[in-house]
Amino acid sequence: MVDTPRVAVLSGFGINCETETIAVFEMAGAKADRVHVNRLVNGEMSLDDYQIMAVPGGFSFGDHLGSGRLMGNRLRFGLREQVRAFVKAGKPVIGICNGFQVLVKMGLLPGDEEVSLTQTASLALNDSGHYENRWATLEFDPNSPCIWTKGMTRMRVPVRHGEGKFVTDDRTLLDEWAESGQLAVRYVNPDSDYPSASDKILPYPISPNQSWRNIAGVCDRTGLVFGLMPHPEANHSTWLGATWTREEIEHGEGEGMTIFRNAVNYVKNSLL
Amino acid sequence: MADTPVFSYEVTTKDVEGLPDARGDSIKAMFASNYGVEVGAVRVILRYQVRAQMSSEEARSAIFDLFADPVIEEGSVNETLLNDQTVFPIAPQIAIATGFKPGVTDNAAQAGLDGLLTIFPALFEQAEVATSRTYLFWGVPEEISPDWLASKLHNRMIERAIIADTIDCQAKNWPTINFPDRPALLQQKPSIVNLEVSDEKLIEISQTGLLALNLEEMQAIQAHYRNAKVRITREARGLVPNAPTDVELECLAQTWSEHCSHKIFAAKIHHIDTETGEDCSIDSLFKTHIMTPTLDIQSKVDWLLSIFHDNSGVIAWNDDWSLCMKAETHNSPSALDPFGGAMTGIVGVNRDILGTGLGARPIANTDVFCFGPPNYSGAIPEGLFHPSRVFRGVHAGVRAGGNESGIPTVNGAIIFDERYLGKPLVYCGTVGMMPRRLPDGRESHIKTPTPGDIVYMVGGRVGSDGIHGATFSSLELTEESPSSAVQIGDPITQKKMIDMVLEARDLGLIQVITDNGAGGLSSSVGEMAELTGGADLDLSVVPLKQAGLSAWEILVSESQERMTIGVSTADCEAFEKLAVLHEVEATAVGTFTDSGSFIVRFGEQTVADLPISFLYDGCPQLQLESEWIPPIHEPIIFPQVNANEFGEILCRLMARPNVASKEWWVRSYDHEVIAQSVIKPFGGVNHDAPGDAAVIAPIQGQTQGAVISNGIAPRYSDIDAYAMAAASIDEALRNAVCVGVDLDLIAGLDNFCWPDPVESAKTPDGRYKLAQLVRANRALDDICRAYNLPCISGKDSMKNDAILDGKKISVPPTLLFSLIGNHSDVRKAVSSDFKNVGDHIYLLGETHQELGASELAFMFRDESNGRSGIGGTIPEIDAKRNLSMYRSLTAAMGAGLVASAHDCSDGGLATTVAECCFGCDSGSIIDISPITSDCSHIDSWGALFGESLGRILVSVKPTDSVAFEASMKGHACYKLGRVESGDNITFNNGNDSVMTASMSALRVAWKGTLDGGTN
Repeated sequence: MVDTPRVAVLSGFGINCETETIAVFEMAGAKADRVHVNRLVNGEMSLDDYQIMAVPGGFSFGDHLGSGRLMGNRLRFGLREQVRAFVKAGKPVIGICNGFQVLVKMGLLPGDEEVSLTQTASLALNDSGHYENRWATLEFDPNSPCIWTKGMTRMRVPVRHGEGKFVTDDRTLLDEWAESGQLAVRYVNPDSDYPSASDKILPYPISPNQSWRNIAGVCDRTGLVFGLMPHPEANHSTWLGATWTREEIEHGEGEGMTIFRNAVNYVKNSLL
Repeated sequence: MADTPVFSYEVTTKDVEGLPDARGDSIKAMFASNYGVEVGAVRVILRYQVRAQMSSEEARSAIFDLFADPVIEEGSVNETLLNDQTVFPIAPQIAIATGFKPGVTDNAAQAGLDGLLTIFPALFEQAEVATSRTYLFWGVPEEISPDWLASKLHNRMIERAIIADTIDCQAKNWPTINFPDRPALLQQKPSIVNLEVSDEKLIEISQTGLLALNLEEMQAIQAHYRNAKVRITREARGLVPNAPTDVELECLAQTWSEHCSHKIFAAKIHHIDTETGEDCSIDSLFKTHIMTPTLDIQSKVDWLLSIFHDNSGVIAWNDDWSLCMKAETHNSPSALDPFGGAMTGIVGVNRDILGTGLGARPIANTDVFCFGPPNYSGAIPEGLFHPSRVFRGVHAGVRAGGNESGIPTVNGAIIFDERYLGKPLVYCGTVGMMPRRLPDGRESHIKTPTPGDIVYMVGGRVGSDGIHGATFSSLELTEESPSSAVQIGDPITQKKMIDMVLEARDLGLIQVITDNGAGGLSSSVGEMAELTGGADLDLSVVPLKQAGLSAWEILVSESQERMTIGVSTADCEAFEKLAVLHEVEATAVGTFTDSGSFIVRFGEQTVADLPISFLYDGCPQLQLESEWIPPIHEPIIFPQVNANEFGEILCRLMARPNVASKEWWVRSYDHEVIAQSVIKPFGGVNHDAPGDAAVIAPIQGQTQGAVISNGIAPRYSDIDAYAMAAASIDEALRNAVCVGVDLDLIAGLDNFCWPDPVESAKTPDGRYKLAQLVRANRALDDICRAYNLPCISGKDSMKNDAILDGKKISVPPTLLFSLIGNHSDVRKAVSSDFKNVGDHIYLLGETHQELGASELAFMFRDESNGRSGIGGTIPEIDAKRNLSMYRSLTAAMGAGLVASAHDCSDGGLATTVAECCFGCDSGSIIDISPITSDCSHIDSWGALFGESLGRILVSVKPTDSVAFEASMKGHACYKLGRVESGDNITFNNGNDSVMTASMSALRVAWKGTLDGGTN
């Protein structure tokens, strides 16, 4: 039996963070491949050969018709059963930034037990009305079933999006998701004491997009499918931090790596 | 298609508590920020018109499967949302619908079509989509007319607008944009152009055809067709022997255009200096002052892999990887359509990188813009946009182009001067990276074409957009400038192509590659034909956006997102298969040959036969006159001020657009994609202190880095373009030194943007402008040699004039100097922000009384309505002294002795100290007395606001002070003070207080000017 988890990092159509997404999974001890979506559609490659799927950030189809919509449709219409089988097999999935938008628009997140691919939430335009690249501080829900964020408290990461305001048209769902620990990660004031995640929307730019309940990322009920707007893969090394030149640090792995290591270890311990 | 039904989809934000219509809010904020016009509310309806054979059931399913978000948006098909009382209970006061004119690139429509085909694959090749949007206004001030609003919401050159005023809105007479159908084109047969005419007539042919060729050039073409040998060959190939086809003439015009062949830089110049009495002849500024110094440096180093001849210059970064860099300008298109022009600028220069060697991956962008003042209140000539609109449009174009391509924008600058009102300068640069060797063993920076290789056109299709871009940019801008020169880039088509090309490269499928930019296929195929000695191109197979284009149009169209690639016949099948996988169009359009000729056919008919030698060496050398007479300026009038008033002057200086924070704009560029960003555009405790150079570590997990910086100082051209060029180069290098660049591996790019320097009736001061160019080139030569800084690539744009309302506006001569260098260990990189209260502050480098053409001088000029002049001593450079100091400083950084380093430039020492304090939320106390020893006649103005070159402001931990001072021994290194807590920034001269200011007041001034508006 192989002991190195294999990661399918999707590419094509304007996905553009596949290089660093591959790099972080490899740093975390996995073997990651760049997998063009069409290679899964035409059967040249198969998700069956992988234990983790990552939908990286980018601007798939230029964000036209709503970020993630068209790529979500490619997966929802073109790869429907392959993706459902992957999720139902209990294999971890992550969507980062545009990848998160894809997973939400195709209904995989926050998702449902049947993996019916029905959209229940969305990512609206930031209240600022435009794209922004800035650093934010995130806090993780210690009671979340999310296997990706296990043991994590806080993390500093860049956000780089124009449509990251997590909303839904049925507010009762928010309570359900909160109850089941699906609101796995939220924006938080870096100057506050841990834990301090709250439902009250934090001022801009602590919350860069005015997301409801400061939600930065969510997982499905199983905790295996996870997505977030910020970019943990962009904080893979200490020298990429926003203020690292002001800090006395031992250089090495960055704060974002825990997420990827968590998933790789989960696969090693539970699936291989 | 006429009987195919059109479905009209409408989408708008759902009215949910806590969910604003951010699109509408942005428009509202834009009106407030750009024009000071406050409207009550704005909503936006997006509209997609779909022409397709769908059933109404299918059409309905597509509302929420595709066009509208089922959770947060309202959607409808064939019913306008404006009539839906639940969506818009109160009718708008004004409604304005805007959409593209026929033939203009509509990226959202293209995406919509792709999405439609995902759901209904059977519609392939039969469906069409067009987008438009309707802006709804409530609470519009009385004095604001619907027409005025509409004029700010669309660009008449490329868009249409339909307006519903209050009466229309009350009558529910909503504005609608019709499907942008293009009128059918009738293909013109290639025509013959008779050149056996008078000289006047030759000039007329050039002018009416927008060929931008002068008489000597027209005569050279005339002579070619008189050559007996040429006539015999032509006859044999079935061409009219004694006259060019329109295809040939257009091809020559593109190839010989100033834009493509840099005739002014290649000219023979008679130069007179009235100051020194010099009278000399310069045979090509490029060869004399750019190529020769770089070749001299190349003979001393082993890392200059490819210079001058490719799409960008290539340097060896380490044994495994090389880096390349290129910067371009896209000025004329950006004046006509700021968004589209700038976007094509950035995606265009990305293709230069993709077309370098056998293909490099773009890994970083740089953007430097020069605009008219954003707060300009004078009259705007007909045909021009207000600078704030140009600014916003250019910024949005570069943002979309860079962000959607997944290439981080890591460094740049924005400069303001009234003379950029006529033509903005839009410099777009890109850094690329490639493996030194491909898996098949070939060196990636060397193209390997052989006769017989198949010519593929890859990416976008050819349309009537972008015809005559190269020749158009070689002319001044007028009201009649053609809209066909305007294009909108399509980053996603290009991104798919980049993914495909890089995969093809690694599979060894590419023998030669270049981009289709200026001159289109005529340039791309022509240039590569020079490598094998010929090419045979068939225009009839080129995929078109619209049927009916004539042969010459297909040949010279600059439609975007296209590469031309040479593939061995054995690899064609694999290459085409890869293209299909990536959904990229790749079409075999010809063959490289060694026939000595560039032969163009349209099916069976030969339409052009141009000998390669004539095409590339036939253009006669220009002979130009240059005369330097130093300009005379009125002196600066300095006010009598006390320390507080000095502080107010600093405050006003910090609010000047040239100095003010650009954070609002820069933050909307992605600067961190690829996860390599070590030193970012902003740093400091609040992430708002401006950095100097960018540092990236492009191999994830490794610590070797690359440094990217820019220098630009057009103000100094008003006194001497030599000083301007010297200041630009030193600024670029200083910025790089501030982060700890490896001074043994640095390379530069020279990007000249000049007003027309050729004396003529329209340009009576051509000799002076050419003398400015000569002086700038001499500075480039002198300084680059002294800094051991080879110019690996460059570009010039020489017609940056606008004639509008009969008045000529010329840009100030501007050199952008961009730099790329190595960083040995990014963990030792230094940022600009002060780190801790108590740290010692040092100024490195000598300060002289050099206030001529300084930012302060311009501020006093503007504030006094021109009574105060800009005259005075301008910064003089001592490159040898500077370099020696820079070396000691980088060594001190390597030893970890430097806490912060910040370039001292616009606004001088005072603004520099303030910026460093922003990064630490601190104040400081500075004593300027030590620096007065540099110069016998320096005063407080010179010490605080002078812009002497070669200076860097550094802070050092108290415990490192002794070691730092020892390491800087022998250099001008003055301890000026310390970082203090609190809100005050104080400058003393010994015991005398010179200037004092509140940091919070400075911050407000500095951040307020260029705040782009908040929703």
